[in-house]
Amino acid sequence: MTQPAIFFEEVNERQGVFHRRAILLGAFAGLGLGALGGRLGYLQLVETQRYEKLSASNQFNFKLLPAPRGLIVDRNGAVLAANRPNFRLMVARDKGVDPEATLKTLAEYVPLDDARQRRYLREINAAPKRAPVQIMEDMTWEQFSALNVRAPELPGVTADMGEVRVYPHGGAFAHVIGYVAKVNKEDVDAAGPNPDPIMLHPSFRIGKQGVEKAFDVALRGKAGAQKVEVDANGREVRQDPNGDIPAVPGKVIELTIDADVQLRAEEVFGAESGAAVMMDCRTGDVLCMYSGPSFDANKFVRGLTGAEYRELALYERKPLFNKALTATYPPGSTFKTMVALAALDSGYDPNTVHSCGKTWAWGGRVWHCDQAHGPQTLHTAIATSCDIYFYQCALAVGPDRIAKVARAFGLGQTFDIGIPGQKPGLVPDTAYKRRVFPKDPVWHPGETPSMGIGQGYTHLNPLQLCVQVARLANRRKALHPRLIKSIGGVEQPAGSSFGDLPFKPEHLEFVYNGMGAVTGANGEHIARATGFGQADLGLGSFLMAGKTGTAQSRGYGGGTGAHGAVGEWSLRDHAWFICFAPFDNPRYAMSVLVEHGGFGASAAAPKAREIMRVAMLKDPEITAQITKPAPLPEVPPAERNQDDLPDGPEADPIPTPGQPT
Amino acid sequence: MTVSALTRPGERDRLIVKLSEIDWLFVAVLTLIAGAGGLMLFSIAGSSWTPWAAPHLIRYALLLAIMIVLAVLDVRVWFALAYPIYGLGLLLLVAVAVHGQTRLGATRWLGVGPFSFQPSEVMKIGIVLALARLYHGAGAQRARLSWWLLIPAGMIAVPVLLVAKQPDLGTAMLIALTGTVIVVLAGLSWRVIAVGVLGALAVAPPFFMFVMHDYQRERILTFLHPENDPSGTGYHILQSMIALGSGGLLGKGYGLGSQSQLNFLPEKQTDFIFATLAEEFGFVGCVSILILYGAVIFMALRTAYLSHSHFGRLAAAGVTATFALYVMINGAMVMGLAPVVGVPMPMLSYGGTVMVTVMVGFGLVQSVRVHRYAEVTSGKGTFV
Repeated sequence: MTQPAIFFEEVNERQGVFHRRAILLGAFAGLGLGALGGRLGYLQLVETQRYEKLSASNQFNFKLLPAPRGLIVDRNGAVLAANRPNFRLMVARDKGVDPEATLKTLAEYVPLDDARQRRYLREINAAPKRAPVQIMEDMTWEQFSALNVRAPELPGVTADMGEVRVYPHGGAFAHVIGYVAKVNKEDVDAAGPNPDPIMLHPSFRIGKQGVEKAFDVALRGKAGAQKVEVDANGREVRQDPNGDIPAVPGKVIELTIDADVQLRAEEVFGAESGAAVMMDCRTGDVLCMYSGPSFDANKFVRGLTGAEYRELALYERKPLFNKALTATYPPGSTFKTMVALAALDSGYDPNTVHSCGKTWAWGGRVWHCDQAHGPQTLHTAIATSCDIYFYQCALAVGPDRIAKVARAFGLGQTFDIGIPGQKPGLVPDTAYKRRVFPKDPVWHPGETPSMGIGQGYTHLNPLQLCVQVARLANRRKALHPRLIKSIGGVEQPAGSSFGDLPFKPEHLEFVYNGMGAVTGANGEHIARATGFGQADLGLGSFLMAGKTGTAQSRGYGGGTGAHGAVGEWSLRDHAWFICFAPFDNPRYAMSVLVEHGGFGASAAAPKAREIMRVAMLKDPEITAQITKPAPLPEVPPAERNQDDLPDGPEADPIPTPGQPT
Repeated sequence: MTVSALTRPGERDRLIVKLSEIDWLFVAVLTLIAGAGGLMLFSIAGSSWTPWAAPHLIRYALLLAIMIVLAVLDVRVWFALAYPIYGLGLLLLVAVAVHGQTRLGATRWLGVGPFSFQPSEVMKIGIVLALARLYHGAGAQRARLSWWLLIPAGMIAVPVLLVAKQPDLGTAMLIALTGTVIVVLAGLSWRVIAVGVLGALAVAPPFFMFVMHDYQRERILTFLHPENDPSGTGYHILQSMIALGSGGLLGKGYGLGSQSQLNFLPEKQTDFIFATLAEEFGFVGCVSILILYGAVIFMALRTAYLSHSHFGRLAAAGVTATFALYVMINGAMVMGLAPVVGVPMPMLSYGGTVMVTVMVGFGLVQSVRVHRYAEVTSGKGTFV
């Protein structure tokens, strides 16, 4: 008898339990699958747009393409700042890239000595993965093409063509145009909380000075983007040209500068230190703004070495300094034009005679002149630049009236010419003394004679003196200088769109004539006129008028000291010449400063003449009157040998040279 | 062949009859899933049969043949081999612990000549067979609530601990859950189940804190906050969800899944193949595959339901549970609902081991179906 291990009821019971629970298990499985389906529905139907975006940002990268930087051209379209192609070589760290071996291989193609290899190896290892480090710039076409052929075998190496800023004239325009250089931290901070992402692009250069800085955003254009498909490792799989966003090139900036005039200024100055500013005295356009000695802006684009920078920064003639705007000097005798006008304006009789005997005792001390001019009227005193006359003239007028006139001529102020760095200088008056010298707020009478000859507190920059002489030459308009002619084809307001000078025409005419007498441009020959002989530009009847200035750069200790170009350079006088031409119908006005140059008449005026000559020769209306075109002999077409003519239906007529078009 | 013919004694032992009794619809659904796997593997290899699609399909064809052979194998043979297979599995697990191959810090492999395999896979079938065999001889009372239950508990615990020690938490969990499902299906008292669930909840935090390896803990933390580590461990989950979500309703198109084609998706040919499918075929494709999986589970469970022997029921249900767990865990992982545990999607993912386990398991299920009327009587309720 064997007992069954399991009784029948039990078998039924466990089958029943299993059946119930199997259904439960099925339900659970269904529930689980349903939950998965629900989750899928949520991800794929509800949240799909969010994930599509994430997927696209995984799949596509936009590589920034810097826009070509806008050109800077002169008034005739001559290019002052351009871009040139630049073949670069870059190495990036990546999986399967051995930078050391790669650099060794590259050294077979480009000059890379061991020291540089080590330096670049450190840079590559310090850079983020796949961030290219620039190894070479300005490769030759041969180097570039050889590397491009080998590129597929050299992972991590890219040889591409970028653009780099180039200043074809090197130094002549460096202070006006400025330069571009690598972006530094201050530039990024200055750009605000959301800097343009292009600023972080390794090949991007930002304007650091002058026009490049002031109009950086306009010149920069709008960076484009190249759409590339990348894999999970960030490698480019393919490009999608349809997804590219084209770059918008930077705007062209047209300056009022005439490159030929300014290049002549650079030549004329040579190694001398100073500035020359020329304006069109009908429109206010700045034709020349040169500061010398200058520097090669191209060196800043690629980056200066420490030694190069020190050489520029420590040179006593300060090449990095824009002397036309940023430096102020005592105006010297050029300021006498202002004193004369202030005198006339306040009712001073121009026929008042003061006699100059080289010295003049007044106020308990002796005042000097450079020579004994004899009896002088206001007119002859301008021509001979007699200090003793102007001491007394200034005393008759008083500082406040002189200052008022000077300010009406733009002295002591800054102008909106678009580029930064102007120093206003100073035109002093009694209010100034009260404001700045609380311990001694009185204008002492002894300070007025100094002001009368442009010394003392008066400090001005060459641009201001150019504006002054342009207004004197214009005799009507309170001209403003204009440096930027157009931005992206949009003409900027002209400098002549300002009000009139608040002076009587005959008074303005008087000073204008006085300047003519300085050089003899008005036909007078006044004895000991300081600029006599400087009127002749070698252009026939077109003569130049002006006013010399020799400004002390230091006190002479009782008035005895060596004037002129003698002694220690940094202690010599500053030479000034303000001028305009042609005298009869002024077109161009200019101020020339030669720092520590000595006498205005001998150091500054000859330079002014040379520069002015170029401006006159560039003027088609003036050249048309100088050069009388010799007409070519007219040859009747019928007499010409028909066989010599090309087969075309009609040959161009032979152009006649010399005819204005 | 009429139904009456099948009642003739010996008729069901004929090979041709046995073959006709196999659930061919079930086979067709499996083939569809494996085919979908081949399709996806072809796509992610860049429209290439190598290195994945062709081996996957060839492997499936071979395993289908083996499954059919196993299906006609008498269920009583399975029954007789239940304990030996379980015993062999245990032995191999011990051998791994003593003399296994270590890869990536886990000792899971045993070398046999040039080949190596994971004995834990043997245990996945072994635990099902052994428990079914054990419960076949046990009455409802014992199965409900008795000290006897310590025997099945021990039978589950020993292999689970051995596998967990390797460490292979995913497989250990799978074995534990499969065993538990069988114990519950066999009629475990609801009270015990309730206590067990509460106990598990109580034990989980200290287990998490003290027993788990760092990388396991990190995986779970990352799963909870994937955004904390978008480029490290959280990357897998995030990229998988991006692949799924960006698929949308109809998908990006066959061969056009950027996430998988450009390697953003990790393990795209194995654990994350479902995400590839989701990206290229969208919600419609995913739901279709889930329906196919549902059909497999339903048909296998129905086989268990219709079996006349308790061994057959439990064995078929156990295999079904294993399969369903695979699908659930992988699906949840891919969709960002579970930590990354390294459980593939059966039949869809590339990889031989899981496919062997699943197809052998389904061979058992079909054997149960073919022999559903066969009497399995030698059970005594104790170890033989």
